[in-house]
Amino acid sequence: MNTRNWARRLHLPTLIALTAVVAAWTVLSRRYGAYVLPGPLSVVSGLAEIVQSGEIWSHTAASLTRIAIGFGFAVLVSLAMALGAFVSTVARGIVEDALAILNSTSVFVWIVVSLIWFGLSNWGPIFTTFMITLPVVASNLVEGVSSVDRRLLEMGDVYRLDGGQKFTSIVIPSTVPYLLAGAKIGFGLALKVSVVAEIFGVTSGIGYAMNLSRETLATRMVFVWALVMVLIMVAVDKLLFGAMDRRLTHWR
Amino acid sequence: MKLAVEGVGKDFLIPVLDSVSFAAEAGEFVCLLGPNGCGKTTLLRIVGGIEPATRGRVLLDGQPVGTDRAPARRVGVVFQEDRLLPWLSLADNVALVLKPLGLDREARRARSLRYLHLTGLGGFEGYYPSRVSGGMRQRAAIARALAIEPDVLLMDEPFGALDAQNRRVMQDEVRRIWRETGRTILFVTHSIEEAVAVGTTLVMLSARPARVRELIRNDGGRERGKLVDDLTAMITEEVARQQGPGAAR
Repeated sequence: MNTRNWARRLHLPTLIALTAVVAAWTVLSRRYGAYVLPGPLSVVSGLAEIVQSGEIWSHTAASLTRIAIGFGFAVLVSLAMALGAFVSTVARGIVEDALAILNSTSVFVWIVVSLIWFGLSNWGPIFTTFMITLPVVASNLVEGVSSVDRRLLEMGDVYRLDGGQKFTSIVIPSTVPYLLAGAKIGFGLALKVSVVAEIFGVTSGIGYAMNLSRETLATRMVFVWALVMVLIMVAVDKLLFGAMDRRLTHWR
Repeated sequence: MKLAVEGVGKDFLIPVLDSVSFAAEAGEFVCLLGPNGCGKTTLLRIVGGIEPATRGRVLLDGQPVGTDRAPARRVGVVFQEDRLLPWLSLADNVALVLKPLGLDREARRARSLRYLHLTGLGGFEGYYPSRVSGGMRQRAAIARALAIEPDVLLMDEPFGALDAQNRRVMQDEVRRIWRETGRTILFVTHSIEEAVAVGTTLVMLSARPARVRELIRNDGGRERGKLVDDLTAMITEEVARQQGPGAAR
């Protein structure tokens, strides 16, 4: 591989911009002090500390478990909604209106409501994640099933494929790209939302760790946990969704 | 009589097909000709059981064709577009339509490969539709229609999207496939040259609402150039009629 390709793979312009940001960060941190803005090096060493102490794994695992449950349920319910929208136009109207309402509801509503309903438990962040990601994943899926090519379904009728055969060989494959797109956006949202919800009512997770650091005046650790979030997002996007994309849409 | 179309009519908002009747023996290659918009495709869809007729009936081996799902008779359809599933290889596209016939996996695979080979796609069975040319996709669609070993094969302007050279090649190919398989074919086209090149029986429909204007045997008894000229004159007249009085002037 020649140098040009390497430059592209490493996103060279991005690296240059990043270097500039880190330099500015260093200067500003010197100017305002570590309590307001800890320097980049101390954030990296903070990251090394929580890796060594194992704290990074326990809090990340707690957050990811809640996301997996809330987001997983959202995907399941979305699939049911999309199926309903596919078989009945009445159901489709109801689903679309319901999603429009859910879409316009603030994260904070669900956080407060889940505190009242579930008190100080894991179910708060899980429920909040579920309610926020549901409309995103479901709208994508509903759009997916309604954009199934009618001409392909007609081909299925001509060749006497039964409902199940048409569903598995025509409807599902046409919807997969929409499911992937929805899941990708939904997961990003789930991570951001669940961390906010973890500020209230639970004693583990990235959101909890971040808020605790703020309360104990450890600004450095707030930045460390923010960095952990970025790393999770990049890892899931590149590894998990990237692999799924390549596997499921290789025919393009 | 393999295929009998008896007084078939269809109304949408206006009558499209008035009353169309013709019949075909087993192994005939029938071309449906007529001005654009006269209902050729609609007639084909009625014969294929995709749409119900408003009047009349279609008999296949003496059995009425309906839009219900009872697979008493088999009809293979090649559409204007290939309508292949982009996420399946060519072989899997063909094998898919064999599932309702109750064949097991291996039999489906074997038959799929046989018909892909027949249509000149041997060696391409593992390719996805997006990786092959438009002509090859249409060949795969023909292989799919033949693979169910249909009582009648319906083709709706199957080469309309192809360029002139590919079109000519595919006309020769479909003629060869017809000779090798002995299938009864109903082929819709608006190109007179195409119809004269491939068909044994030419059914010329009139302007909307359509009836059969003329049924011509294309068995070499009439000179081709003369036949093309006669048909062209007929279709010009029908087009003028369809566009209303005064439009021809």
